[in-house]
Amino acid sequence: MQEAQTTKVKNAFSERGRKIAAWFKGLPARTKEKFAFAREILNQGNGKVRASMLLMGMGQLLYRQWAKGILYLLVEIAFLAYFILRGADDLLGFFTLGTVESNAWYGIEGDNSVIMMLMGILAWIALLFYAVLYIANIKDCYAIQCAADTLKAPKSFKKELSELLDKKFYKTALALPIVGVSVFSILPIIFMILIAFTNYGGDIVPPALVDWVWLDNFGRILTLGQFAPTFFKIFGWNIIWAVLSTALNYFAGLGLALLLNKKCVKGKTFWRLFPILAYAVPGFITLIAFKYMFSYGGPINQMIVDAGGTAIGFLDIDAKWTARLIGLFANAWLNIPSSMLLATGILSNMNTDLYEAARVDGASAWKQFVKITLPYVLFATMPVLISQFIANFNNFGIFYFLRGGLYMEGYFLASDTDLLINWLYNMSIDNNYYSIGAAISIIIFIVTSVISLAVYVLSPSYKQEETYQ
Amino acid sequence: MKKLKIKPQKLFNVAITYLIILAVCFVFLFPILWLVLASFSKTGSIYSFEGFFPAEFSLDSFKRLFTDTALYNYPRWFLNTLFIALMSSLIGTALTILTAYVMSRFRFRTRKAMMKTTLILGMFPSFMTMTAVYLMMTQFNLINQQWGLILIYSAGAPMGYLTQKGFFDTIPSSIDEAARIDGASNFRIFVRITLPLAAPMIVYTLLSSFVWPWSDFILPQLLLKNKDLYTVAVGLMSLDDSEFSRFAAGSVFIAVPIVVFYFALSKFLISGLSAGAVKQ
Repeated sequence: MQEAQTTKVKNAFSERGRKIAAWFKGLPARTKEKFAFAREILNQGNGKVRASMLLMGMGQLLYRQWAKGILYLLVEIAFLAYFILRGADDLLGFFTLGTVESNAWYGIEGDNSVIMMLMGILAWIALLFYAVLYIANIKDCYAIQCAADTLKAPKSFKKELSELLDKKFYKTALALPIVGVSVFSILPIIFMILIAFTNYGGDIVPPALVDWVWLDNFGRILTLGQFAPTFFKIFGWNIIWAVLSTALNYFAGLGLALLLNKKCVKGKTFWRLFPILAYAVPGFITLIAFKYMFSYGGPINQMIVDAGGTAIGFLDIDAKWTARLIGLFANAWLNIPSSMLLATGILSNMNTDLYEAARVDGASAWKQFVKITLPYVLFATMPVLISQFIANFNNFGIFYFLRGGLYMEGYFLASDTDLLINWLYNMSIDNNYYSIGAAISIIIFIVTSVISLAVYVLSPSYKQEETYQ
Repeated sequence: MKKLKIKPQKLFNVAITYLIILAVCFVFLFPILWLVLASFSKTGSIYSFEGFFPAEFSLDSFKRLFTDTALYNYPRWFLNTLFIALMSSLIGTALTILTAYVMSRFRFRTRKAMMKTTLILGMFPSFMTMTAVYLMMTQFNLINQQWGLILIYSAGAPMGYLTQKGFFDTIPSSIDEAARIDGASNFRIFVRITLPLAAPMIVYTLLSSFVWPWSDFILPQLLLKNKDLYTVAVGLMSLDDSEFSRFAAGSVFIAVPIVVFYFALSKFLISGLSAGAVKQ
């Protein structure tokens, strides 16, 4: 059994290796293929296509494709105006991050490095969009030329518009989402990745000039006395937390689903309402309620006092493990319902013939669970399980609401329940250690992606990747 | 047939099952029950409770919530939250459904690359970008503006298209093809055929993209500095410690609509949640 497992793992890896090798081997040929069309346009394109290369839309206008030509021309003018007015400066500012330091004495308004970087990235993204449109413009003009050469009438503007709702509907539909994601997800992520390589933060915030420091921040986190002990302590706890809470939520959810699925249970929909109730109440409300519940004046301590005991500081500064356990419990309370609903959905799709056969063969209930239910559910939910693991690894809310803003001795701007994500928040939002915070988030990203990739590649779901994607 | 006699062992099994179920339901119900009863507390302070529950009940907390608005303007917060959540939900759902439909039905050159990109982007911790978003919003003049929040929520929504795509994958493409033979364009097929078939998924998406801004705390706290613009979550967090029953009443009031939604839609919830999983 063990051996079979390891060979399976080995096979998965060697298969992957072979694929990567094949990818590299095919690279030159594929690049050539990709540029074949570009070369064809360069060689075969006539003067009008070249006019389009010079100024977007020119070729189309020369071919009397008025509407399209004017549209392309307008795009060109808009981009040129943007780049002349500010884009070009932004692109340059991205590299220098500002050269003029502000000086109130002389009335010099200095450069704001951070804004320069942000706007610089935006300018790069704009340049990318421009390049895409520019190439589309040339390709379009070449297509008109080909049509003209073979004496076919080129597509009318109206027809092209209707194509945008038919064959090319995907372009129309994705335009807005792509712009939105580019500006609000990709741009900030690139910005923060770059910030990790600067000295932005602490004393160095605008109007002071920010500079590139490359890998210094990572070095500081891993070696410097100020950050390193905190980092490793939090990191260790973060791993324990992610594994424990994911396992707890997952198996408790599955168990609950199985329990409610039992044949002898009547009124399944009714019983299911209770977890759904817990699922529906917004998380921050429940967490604050838990915080009140375990506070000194809270009901649990009142009961302890009434019974003759002394109040316990469940979430106090020295309550390391009780606070952690309460966190684990509160997280389970919040997340078991969704895991239960998920398992219920999966189980309802399951083929029950196997159980019949197992029963005939005299397999016990436990054996049926281990040999039939668990492999099936694990297989079906592996992607969800991975995303739950990542969500728990980055579970900000639990300890922010239960025990937020606590700074402890032995920790730098954190407490012993804080996860890396809480530390990141303390560092970059509450105290302005921006570049260190950004470096931490890159470390979080690397850890979570490596773990989830490894789990995914080794999981049976991976072999049926196509059904998932 | 053996079933005529009920074995004592089986009876025991059933009893244990019900016992566990009751215990679990109690654990899930109790904190909520506590909160609800606290919201009807007469004195308003957590310290005047007898054990877990308030000594006297009244509707005062709710009355104060809506009338005593000088310091904590709950009705205002509620309307703010409702506006932001509704708009984000509508725009976000439209973008998500479009993205999911395209990713499920079209095969184009950059499709795989896009799917991988969203997968990778999703692995970055969400707070990482907070500073950047804040700076960007100051540049676009969207601090202290509800539309700024709506923009962020709805622009981020299409990143979570996988569940919806999983659903569209299960609608057989033969239906599309039949319509295409009849000369319908892809847009027409999408509007006339796919959307009606996807009604449950749309409801699920509307709901889940409504709940996020409805109960989010971090972003509004970062972007809304003006007390009149607060959302309920930020407002409730700003309450003084002594205002426990006001907190409870305010919480109950925003939780009720969601709970009703979820109960009514519990069936969609199960299929929606499991749509992201692998199918055999």
